[in-house]
Formats: sequence, C-alpha cells, structure tokens
Amino acid sequence: MTWMRIGGAGAVVAACVTYLVWSAASGSAEYYRTISEVHAQPVSGDVRVLGVVQDDVQRLDGGQEVRFTAADSGASMTVDYRGTLPDIFKPGIQVVVEGRTGGDGVFHARTLLAKCPSRFTAKA
Amino acid sequence: MITASAGGAALLAGLALAGFSAVLSAWAGVRRDAVTARVGRRALYAGAGAVVLASAALEWALLDHQFELAYVTEHSDRSLPWPLLASSFYGGQQGSLLYWTLVLTVLGSAAVAAAGRSGVRLQAYATTVLAALAAFFLAVLVFVASPFDLLEVTPSDGLGLNPILRDGGMLIHPPFLLAGFSSFAIPFAFAMASLLAGRQDPGWIAQTRRVALVAWSLQTVGLTLGMWWAYHVLGWGGYWGWDPVENVALLPWLATTAYIHTAQVQERRGQLKAWNLGLVVGAFLLAIFGTFLVRSGALVSVHTFAVSDIGPWFFALLAVLLAFSLGVLAWRSSSLRSARPLESAVSREGAFLLQNFLLIGLVAAVLWGTLLPLLSGMVGARRVVGPSYYERVSGPLFLALLLLLAAGPLLPWRRAGRGWWRAMAWPAGAATAALLLLAVGGVRGAALPVFTVLAAAAATSVRGLRPVAHAWRSRRVYGAYLAHLGVVVLAVGIAGSHFWQTERTVTLAPGQSVAVAGHTLTFSAYGERPGAVGEQFVTLSMGDESLQAARAFYPGLGGQAVSRVAIRSTALEDVYVVLDDAAPDHATVTVFVNPLVTWIWAGAAILVLGILLGNLGSVAPSPVPVRARVAVPAT
Repeated sequence: MTWMRIGGAGAVVAACVTYLVWSAASGSAEYYRTISEVHAQPVSGDVRVLGVVQDDVQRLDGGQEVRFTAADSGASMTVDYRGTLPDIFKPGIQVVVEGRTGGDGVFHARTLLAKCPSRFTAKA
Repeated sequence: MITASAGGAALLAGLALAGFSAVLSAWAGVRRDAVTARVGRRALYAGAGAVVLASAALEWALLDHQFELAYVTEHSDRSLPWPLLASSFYGGQQGSLLYWTLVLTVLGSAAVAAAGRSGVRLQAYATTVLAALAAFFLAVLVFVASPFDLLEVTPSDGLGLNPILRDGGMLIHPPFLLAGFSSFAIPFAFAMASLLAGRQDPGWIAQTRRVALVAWSLQTVGLTLGMWWAYHVLGWGGYWGWDPVENVALLPWLATTAYIHTAQVQERRGQLKAWNLGLVVGAFLLAIFGTFLVRSGALVSVHTFAVSDIGPWFFALLAVLLAFSLGVLAWRSSSLRSARPLESAVSREGAFLLQNFLLIGLVAAVLWGTLLPLLSGMVGARRVVGPSYYERVSGPLFLALLLLLAAGPLLPWRRAGRGWWRAMAWPAGAATAALLLLAVGGVRGAALPVFTVLAAAAATSVRGLRPVAHAWRSRRVYGAYLAHLGVVVLAVGIAGSHFWQTERTVTLAPGQSVAVAGHTLTFSAYGERPGAVGEQFVTLSMGDESLQAARAFYPGLGGQAVSRVAIRSTALEDVYVVLDDAAPDHATVTVFVNPLVTWIWAGAAILVLGILLGNLGSVAPSPVPVRARVAVPAT
C-alpha cells in the first residue's frame, strides 16, 4: 500500500517532468544550420548558425548595432546584430548567432555568443 | 630538463604504486588479511606522495619559467604575476588531469586512513577502488597526456594567458570545481567497498555520508565561484547560462543532494539501501560522463576546452565503471533488502523520496536538454535548446522542491498521525501573510507563487533554528536547518534577479543622463589610461556616488578588449554598468539593475556554513535510530 502510493508519486513526478520537457522543448528547440543550409532551405522560426567573423565588421548607431559577414566552409552570409557584444568579439573568432533571415537577405541575429578562447590558452 | 625528468619519474612511480595497491588491497579484502591490507594502504599513501612530487615539479617548472616544457610554454609567460603563474597549473588539459589525480589520491588516502574503524575488508576494498581509479588517471598522464613533454626548441617566452582569464576568480573557481568533481570518486569507492564486503551497517553510511558531504561542499563552492566570476567579469549581467559545461557540473551535485537526504533514511530506519547506492554511483558516473562530454568536443559550448585524445579514454572508463557497478549491485542485491518496509507515504521518509524523485527528474531534464544536439543529430537535423527550455522545465521543479523544503522537515518519521497537517500551521501562516503582502504590494505573475513558497520555506527553516537544550549535540539538526535557510536565501536571490532584472542600452553625450529602474546615471567624464594594456574609462555619477566602467585593450592579442564592469552592490540590488563603446564625445553603456543578486552569494555562504557546522568535530552523533513513534511535530 505504502509502496504503491510512493510509486504513484514517482509516476506523477515522471509524468510531470516528461510533460515539462516536451512542452518546453517543442516551444524553444531550434535547429542547428550551417550557412549553406540557411541559403538552401529557409526555415520558418529561429535557427542557430555557427560562423567565423570576417574582416568587414561595421559598427552602426553609436556602437549599438553591428553588421558583419560570417563564413563557414566556403559559404558566407551577412549578419546584423543589435545589442551588447561579447568582449572577445573581433574578426577571426567563431560566433554562434540565433535568429532568422529577413526579407532583405540579411541574417538578423537575436543573440550572439562568442566561443570563449580555449581555457587559459592565448590565441593571438 | 631535470624538473621534467623528475616529474615524469614521479608519475611513473605513482602509477606503479597505485596499481600495486589496487591488486594487493583486493587480495587482502578477499583473504581478510589485515597485514596485507596495511601494505596496500601504504602503497596508496606512497602513490599519493609521488603525485604530490609530480605536482610540485610542474608548479616549480611554471614558476621558474622552464619553457622547454610544452605545458609551461602553452599556458604561461614571463609577464604573469606569480599567483596567476601558479594557477596555470590547472589551466590546461594535462595539468588539470594532474590536479584531479592529486585531489583523488590525497583526499582518497585521508578518507581511507580515517576509515580504520569500519573493518579490514571495507577499508581494503575502498583502497582497491580508489587505487584503481588513481592508476587509470596516472596511466593517462604517463601515456597520453603528459604535462612533462618537452619541446625540441626552447622558446624565450611562453604564449601566456588569455586576458579574460587573468582574474582573481580564475584562481579559485576551477580548483574547487575540479576538486568537487574528482572527490565524487570517494563516496563511490566506499559504496562499492561496502557492497564488495557485503556490509550494509551504519558504519559505512557514516563514512560515505561524510565523504559525500565533502565532495558536495567543494562542488557547491566551485559552482558558486563560477557564477560569481561570470557575473563580475564577463559583463552580460547574468551568472548562469545553462551552457553544457555548466550543466554537467550541476548534475553530480543534484544527484549528491538527493543522496545526502535519503542517506538519513538508511541511517535511522535501515531502508533504501539499494536506492542510496544507486545515487552515489550515479553521481560519480555523471561526473565522469560530464568530463567526457566537455573534453571530447562532442558538444558545442561557449567554454572551449582543449579538445584532445583523452575523450575515448574517459568513455572507456565510463563503460567499465558502469559495468562494474551494475555487476556488483546485481551480485549483492539480496543483501540490500530493507530491514523493514516503509510504513507510510505521509512521513519524513516519504518526503525524502519525493524530494529525490524531483531531483532525479531535474537531472533527467537537464541531461536531456544537454544531450539533445547529439541525440537529434543521430536521427536527423541537429536541434538545440537554449536557456528558455531550462528555465521552463527547472522552474516548476525547483518550486516543488522549495515547497517540500517548507513541509518535509515538519513531518514525523515513520508515519504522520491524523493531525499532521496541524504542524504545517507555521509555514502556512507565513505563506498566507506573504501572499497578502505581495499581492497588496503589486507583485503579479509567476513571482507571486514563488515568493509565497519561499516565505513558507523560510519560516520552517528559521523555526528549526530556535534554541533547544543540548544544542551542541543537536548540531547536525541545526546545521541542516541553517543549510536550508541558505538555500532559501540563495533562491530569493535567483528569483529576484530572474523576475525583476532591468536592462537598458543607451548612447550618452557628456552631461546627458539616463534613468533605469529609479536610478539616474549621468555621463560625467571620459578618460584614457595608456600603457601596455591600454584602457578607456567613463565615469557615471549616480546621486553622490560615481561608477567607473572601463574597457581594456590587449594589443599583444590582436587588440582584444576586456570589459571592466562597474558594479554598485547593496543588499537590495546591484547597479551593473558595462561600457560597450566610448569616445570623448559619447559613451554607449548597458545598464542592468539586478535585484537581490547579493543574496545568491550570501545564501551559498550560509549553506556551506550550515554543512560545516553540522559536521564539525568528531563524527557528529548520528541521530538515534527511530524506533518509538515520534510525536507531531518532530523537528
């Protein structure tokens, strides 16, 4: 009897966790795309893309907006981002951008993450 | 040259001693031979000594700028001040493995030495498991990732240290976290030893519980310092990003949190033996799995560890440990039956189990989110979840845990009498009062239930701290309530900064002001400090105070900039200013107002203080096994 109740509580917790995982994942999961995939097949909804920042970084609007070309395995795209840039942002680093391609063909990033340099290892 | 040879030789000696100790101790365990067991233990202590020597050699090579060592060249340079130079010890792959082995062998030796009263076989088998693990790490250090590899040409200077890591937080955060990770091996070793020895008596629980608390506390400190460093240095206004590297550090901590609670059920009632063993084993496997994930490059993280060839080794270790623990558990399953069945679901035991279910659910959900890119990549397009997934899943589970923290300690052991709900008057009263106050104060949305539950949890924890006779003898109970109070304070900080953070990015001309969440900041001055590390700074005045946010430029590293965040902390809120862009005629700043962040650091300190206080001195008298029915309320 006691074990049945405890097992029941466990089953309820398991069901709740499954529901939470399922609803949160279907609401917020994004697809990883490479830059060439972004060009080939537009997706509705946000995607996450990894690319290397090229030398053409332009700062607009008093530094609050940035526009640059991201490249990865031969493909490239123009990225526009408004917000605080990570400290290590500069040409040559890898960034992960989340957002979608607008009607102007520019990728509008909602978030921009820079990959930290290898722990304690300096790369000039 | 000599240092490298000495270090390499010490590692080799350590490997031989650890292997010898593992074999000899296993033999001593089988033969119940106290003399052989003592030799096996001493071999482990000697192995620990060899690892200490190897570590000293590496530390000396770093401080002495011996750039003929590849590790020294890659992780330090002549310009570093000595504390940072010393910390480059655990800065890279090989050094952090050596540090891990150091903690494992030294803490492991201490734990084995302190376990003298648990009997020859338990001590011998614990030595076996620890020595075998040490032998694995030493083998990796000797054959795959040696910190003593030499360069063919000795450079005149090293490559140095990345500027965002040149910070005091970096000195203390990784060693605690790594020590926490590696010390999860010790409760694992004792759990396995008790199974191998066929012993399930209170002696091993006391041992395992204490070493689990040590590992858990180290991990608590490491996680908190990591959050503190991210908050003060990275300049994004937050402290936890649900990155894979952060998640895998959290998972063994959550599993051990579950264990240190249900261990009491075994201690007092002789129940849940197999369950507890599963938690201890699970925590250690999660620690190894996490290390494998982040070091193998299988996941994309914002923290990049040097991806190296040790990944497959950790995967092999994981497979062997999993097979070994499942095998031993199955072999000894008959000895794990409970002395008596659980009597009632509405009891302290029931509350602990429910807490465990919630924590395991949390582990599963975080693990699922972390592994989703790998799992979905196997069946189709790679998918990934961001912080919003983790917030939506963990929020309700954390809330349920806090509710349990309010109610669970008030439930009696064995079975609650008919009027058990009367014991809930105290937290329920606090919750009602808080709900009314918050509603009148204009708090709406998810913050309303969260702070109501927090008030109830605070009421239960504070009430548990009321003075009683024989306070020193009851220190375990006091320590537990103090730790609970720490959790509540920490949760208030997380909830406050989560619900009420304000962020604004503006470009100001000199003399211009911006108002953020009731604070008016005026751009009062711009300045530059030239030098090897150039710096731009702006001064913002806020009432009588002035805040100086700066950006430093490291010309040697391609002009990498590092923000120096300006933070004005009070008990109620932090004003946090990041300089994005500056020139004499304008400054672009992001201003965050983060309510209650200080409570996070204070809460973590109270939590660890509670654990220390409850377990200081000789082995704290374990609570009397409960036989008689306990009256309501039992606190």
